[in-house]
Amino acid sequence: MSAREAILTRVRTALGSRDRTEHPGPFGGWRPEATPLPPSQAFGERFAEAGGEVVNVATEDDARSWLNAAAGGAGSVALGATLPTELHPDAPNVAPEEAAMGISMARGAVAETGSLILDARDGRRAQLLPPFHVVVVKATDIRETLAGALRSMAEDLPSAVGLHSGPSKSADIGQILVKGVHGPGRVVALIVATVRE
Amino acid sequence: MSRPTPSDYAAAAAEAIRNHPDVRASVTAATRNFDAHRARAWEQIEPDAWRDWARDVKTHALTHLDRYLEQAEERLQANGTQVHWADTAEEALAVLGRIAAEGQVHRAVKAKSMLTEELGVNAYLEGRGVHVRETDLGEYIIQLLGEPPSHIVGPAIHRSVDDCRALFHEILGTPVDADPDVLAAAARSALRSDFLAADLGISGGNFLAADTGTLALIENEGNIRLSTSAPRIHVALVGIEKIVPRLDDLSGLLQITSRGATGQPVGIYVSLLQGPRRDDEPDGPEEVHVIFVDNGRTRLLADDRAWEALRCVRCGACLNICPVYRQTGGHPYGFTYSGPIGAILAPGLLGLAESMPLPYASSLCGACADVCPVRIPIPELLLHWRQQAVEAGLLPATEGLAMRAFSAASTHPGLFAAAGDVLRRIPWELGGRALPVVGGWSNERAPPAMDHRSFRARWKEGIE
Repeated sequence: MSAREAILTRVRTALGSRDRTEHPGPFGGWRPEATPLPPSQAFGERFAEAGGEVVNVATEDDARSWLNAAAGGAGSVALGATLPTELHPDAPNVAPEEAAMGISMARGAVAETGSLILDARDGRRAQLLPPFHVVVVKATDIRETLAGALRSMAEDLPSAVGLHSGPSKSADIGQILVKGVHGPGRVVALIVATVRE
Repeated sequence: MSRPTPSDYAAAAAEAIRNHPDVRASVTAATRNFDAHRARAWEQIEPDAWRDWARDVKTHALTHLDRYLEQAEERLQANGTQVHWADTAEEALAVLGRIAAEGQVHRAVKAKSMLTEELGVNAYLEGRGVHVRETDLGEYIIQLLGEPPSHIVGPAIHRSVDDCRALFHEILGTPVDADPDVLAAAARSALRSDFLAADLGISGGNFLAADTGTLALIENEGNIRLSTSAPRIHVALVGIEKIVPRLDDLSGLLQITSRGATGQPVGIYVSLLQGPRRDDEPDGPEEVHVIFVDNGRTRLLADDRAWEALRCVRCGACLNICPVYRQTGGHPYGFTYSGPIGAILAPGLLGLAESMPLPYASSLCGACADVCPVRIPIPELLLHWRQQAVEAGLLPATEGLAMRAFSAASTHPGLFAAAGDVLRRIPWELGGRALPVVGGWSNERAPPAMDHRSFRARWKEGIE
């Protein structure tokens, strides 16, 4: 008998006549009081609490100006594959492992957990290897709950989705918090209020 | 070096307390810190409603495990992931070894995974000529020290900053008085080249959603994202109890696990993985494998009481609040999973005889059950295993004798009074420490002076 059959047989024997309980239904995210904040603001607060930086801009033009200035300061960039060309800054474009700054286009964000949603189609290395990561997110793509965000993606999942909720951190050395252990030590969520379609 | 076993618990715990007060200090400080974060995180939610929901999802998944395992396998394969099944640790290692050999793997990076510790992955692969590098900072530290993890979430919490300074000075050449920032930067730099050179990334899995075949992993450093993204092959070792029905369920499970572990709304990085790189993606592994591992889990599932321990999400909240665990950290338990959850998992995963005396490594204070995010009734299960141990004749003979003597005495008032009179007059230094049960306590402690009058006699006289 294969290991597969052996395991499934043992599972069925173990369950035997045990009560098969019901699924409790969707997660309700129960909290003492509902957050009255709009999703974009709630996301920003959570993201900042975790050590991330939040920059709000009104338009794509403003986003491009901000990215240009930041990229100029950093020196070199690695760009996400789905970042609109209008947002590409005037800085040398290099491989993610050599870039001082990565720029990714988020698929969305989650207010409840303060998470940016990053899609493998944008490229994983640019999301992880540069020490400074800027993630562009449209304000209209920020969902209230993680459950809502997962449902919106369920029919169109890439090979990997990364939820990034702040800078890389660790307290493994004597419980003292350090940033930028493997992933980026500095992360900016660049929230764009209105985007031309 | 032979691996320690649970049977060494009493001696190892006593040795740790006597000779390593620094371990107790580090572990106590770290676990108090973790627990304070958890307590604060729970004030922001309605923990009872969250815990009921999480318990019910996991219970539903476990009572339909056959169905969800088959569904998960089907979805994983549809996503292009290769699925393997392993009855035992040896089988799981053999599968991993085959994948490594066929993939011509020379270098592997590992994301933090307790299951790979349970299976002994590192030693196995190293023995087959594969260089294995732990990439979680805490796991990296203990790999360099040649130690097993001391805690489910914080594997190196038993080590102080000074321990890390000395280690990194020796291995990486950092200054002897370097700050943690400098130490972490040195580790980042050393491990970065390992990530980029590795052929294989090895991970565990926090959850696996059956309806989409999504493997979910929670972390804070980014090493799991990198281990599952940079090398051309990714192998995930997943205990069969990690299957949950739906992607939708991850919304609550990721959050409650993070809040229980570190008090965060969610870990800094969550990976939701659906197989190998696709044509429209710039990077990612070309080959992804999931190995479903039993290694004792179906034996635990078959126990009509203790199967509830399989709900565990490995957050470590029960370790953090446990007054017994805090004294020693995880090493004396002699098992991958330590603390209260380890003491109820071990008899199922290893066998009860092999796990003695872990079900006794508890004061039954119940704090663990109060914090468990999936409401595992840990004290009840400790008692369950103790009862099984008594029935199987696994207790020291003296303890059974003492219990029977007490039982006889307590049901015969005259005998009770007479026995008390005798016991109160035994000088501790001569005979007291030889007494069964009591000896285990008094061997390590200075006993109080005995009053020669019984409690009942003093009560009649009027206790001040």
